[in-house]
Amino acid sequence: MKPLGIAALLGYALLVAAAPTQLDAGWLRLGSEILLMLAMAQMWNLLAGYTGLVSFGHQAFIGVGAYLLFYVSDRFEIHPFLLAPAAGAACAVLAALIAPLLFRLRDAYFSVGIWVFAEIVYVLVSKTRELGATSGVALKSVRLVDTETFVRDTFWISTLIALLAVGGVHALMRSRLGLGQMAVRDNELAATSIGIDVWRNRFAAFVISAFGCGLAGATHFMGTMYVSPEAGFDVNWVVAMMFIVIIGGIGTIEGPILGTALYFALREGFTAWAGVSGSWYLVAMGLVAIVVMLVAPRGLWGWVHENRGWQGFPVRRVPPAPATEGADA
Amino acid sequence: MDWIETIVNGLLLGGLYGLFGLGLALVFGVMRVVNLAHGEFIVLAAYAGTMLAAMAPGVPPLLWVLPVAVAAFGVGYALQALLVNRAVRTGDPLTPLLLTFGLAVVLRNLMVETFGTDPRALDGGQFTRAGIDLFGLRIGLFPLTALAIAAVMFFALQWLLTRTEWGRIVRATSDNFRIVRLMGVEPNRVYNTVMGLALAFTAVAGMLLALRTSFTPYSGVERLLIAFEVVILGGLGSFWGAFAGGMALGVAQLLGQKIDSNAGSLYAHLLFFVVLILRPTGLAGRGR
Amino acid sequence: MAALLDIESLQVWYGDLQALYGVSMQLDEGGVLALIGANGAGKSTLLGAVCGLLEGRAAGAVRFGGVPVLGQPAEALARAGIALVPEGRMLFPSLGVEENLRMGLRTRRSGPWTLPRVYQLFPVLEEFRHRPATALSGGQQQMVAIARALLCNPRLLLCDEISLGLAPMVVEQIYASLQRIRGEGLAIVLVEQDVRRACQSADRVCCLLKGRVTLQGAAGAFDHAQIAQAYFGH
Repeated sequence: MKPLGIAALLGYALLVAAAPTQLDAGWLRLGSEILLMLAMAQMWNLLAGYTGLVSFGHQAFIGVGAYLLFYVSDRFEIHPFLLAPAAGAACAVLAALIAPLLFRLRDAYFSVGIWVFAEIVYVLVSKTRELGATSGVALKSVRLVDTETFVRDTFWISTLIALLAVGGVHALMRSRLGLGQMAVRDNELAATSIGIDVWRNRFAAFVISAFGCGLAGATHFMGTMYVSPEAGFDVNWVVAMMFIVIIGGIGTIEGPILGTALYFALREGFTAWAGVSGSWYLVAMGLVAIVVMLVAPRGLWGWVHENRGWQGFPVRRVPPAPATEGADA
Repeated sequence: MDWIETIVNGLLLGGLYGLFGLGLALVFGVMRVVNLAHGEFIVLAAYAGTMLAAMAPGVPPLLWVLPVAVAAFGVGYALQALLVNRAVRTGDPLTPLLLTFGLAVVLRNLMVETFGTDPRALDGGQFTRAGIDLFGLRIGLFPLTALAIAAVMFFALQWLLTRTEWGRIVRATSDNFRIVRLMGVEPNRVYNTVMGLALAFTAVAGMLLALRTSFTPYSGVERLLIAFEVVILGGLGSFWGAFAGGMALGVAQLLGQKIDSNAGSLYAHLLFFVVLILRPTGLAGRGR
Repeated sequence: MAALLDIESLQVWYGDLQALYGVSMQLDEGGVLALIGANGAGKSTLLGAVCGLLEGRAAGAVRFGGVPVLGQPAEALARAGIALVPEGRMLFPSLGVEENLRMGLRTRRSGPWTLPRVYQLFPVLEEFRHRPATALSGGQQQMVAIARALLCNPRLLLCDEISLGLAPMVVEQIYASLQRIRGEGLAIVLVEQDVRRACQSADRVCCLLKGRVTLQGAAGAFDHAQIAQAYFGH
């Protein structure tokens, strides 16, 4: 790993360790939210930017992950921290089960098809008495948790998840699987003709992204200690993920980082102005998305990358240089 | 008897559903663009109708359909000319998809800020409450009219596309937008009128929605999904298939509501998924 | 008299890749030019630059009837009198045969070509006028494509590989009809892989190799060896 990368990692670790001593609970919660949002955006980016599948239904995994954590931790008296990865795994299984059905749909049809799936899950959960129906459920297992350190611990878990998401996607893209996925995105026919299994690549990305969103969603709602169907399955999750990714730059690692920063800057900025209600920042996000799609379809990082040549986390491979020049004079 | 009445009413509702899908099918069929703001335009037309009716209480609300539809045509034309054509130019199908998604978010939340989240409806007066008795079944006059209007729109579109020069140009542009330029056709202009027409259909659907039920700024999402299901169930390129798909969904919706009253559109969505399982071919894109 | 089509030092790039390196040629009113060359030589690119469908960047000059047209959109050039029979026919699958032909009438140019006249030229098309265009054989589809272009009443007809994929007998038929077409005073550019046939049907021949003109002159003026040399490059 490059020295710059190691330095960045160390810097991150230091910041993360120091944060709870410098920031109060409110800031730590915001920090968790930002980091988890970044992780989710990277997952959406993995699917859309690297595999070409745009999902408008990933809120299903966020909600399912959250509900699973709440239900199991309450029912079986298990500490919620332990359940977050399990929630992610369960979402991965769910994704694996519906993939054969959804992958029959192409392009925009897939996008809306998975949205329909999310709506079905939403309605089913809203009708389930044991899950609190429309009022939702509180994290009753909070009595198992040390309330003093809960916010701090959740923060650290979030930093870990974010790191895994960014690092994981980066590593994935540099691997054979990643190369295969990018080939599929760029030209499905060509990829198939050189023996890349399109289906498997898309499947892998889909399942991984479901895992990530389930994990992050479970952690987020664990932090707020309350989940309701409207919040868990809100389509605005995907709206946020999408904006972050396209504004930052789809199909890049740096893009979602930039996009997340911008998203929260805008959101906190808007709500900080007195009297400006929640919906206006969504209007602003929508407008920014429209402008970006017209002016810089590859997002801000894409623009910067193309016009200034900046590189952050390179995933492009450089082929080996040809053998000594002038050998065949 | 009760069940038969529900089914019949479902078929009538299906006409409206078919109309939801018509605009979406037209735009996708011609331009390969999915207008994700489709639902929001339906709701926007509903609000427009409600406001117009409030300003002129004596006028039968159904009459407002025409001016709203004409205005919608203009909006669609401008939308395509200013925004969507530019997004399509990039060649990446993601760009117009995300653009219209952004537009949907803007419209939805602007409506929330402007109109609030309280449900509204358009009161059609006696007309919406009237019914006729047919073979011992009580059939609402309004749903029947809505079906009739939907059928007329479908016929009109089919006729336009198959029997007029404009329709021929649209079909040719949809087939091959590069080559059609060799015959002096400007694809972008064609797309402008197509989007305008699609939004006009959408406006009619919105007005009928307002007369039928209450709505909020969030009602668009639901309608988009129904419209989408209608288009996919019907199979691409077949408007009459979409009409039939709409009817199937309408029946599923009302039957579902009868069995299970707080299910929303669950049963319509489930029907969609079941059909997806049973008939995957022909649902995976244009069957060319 | 100035040439109808005058191409001067035309260069074309697709991104960083240069496709044409300063190509120059002229074509007079009513003349027939055979444009030959191997795959990838730049023939279709050249046609694209002339008819306005080019997707790359271009430099140099293309004059049609004395008027500079390089860079103008295809829609405008269609109305000015340039028509293309595209490679692969490119008929509209959603349209019937007659509907495809009527698309040609869209340019609203006046001239000798009308629907009855093209039916006279290709009687089989009248028989199939209401069939879907894709239901016809390859040769018949080629006739539709040519007729569609003729109905634009062009002054310059560009034909891109009209013999591709067709049986020799059918190709004979098509070329015979071309002779009748040129009788109307139409200038034609024939892009062809079949060198012999192209030179037989044309007044002038021009050969491209890797984006450069390697041979240009009267069709009968070159022997087999010279053409092979210009075509393959050794």
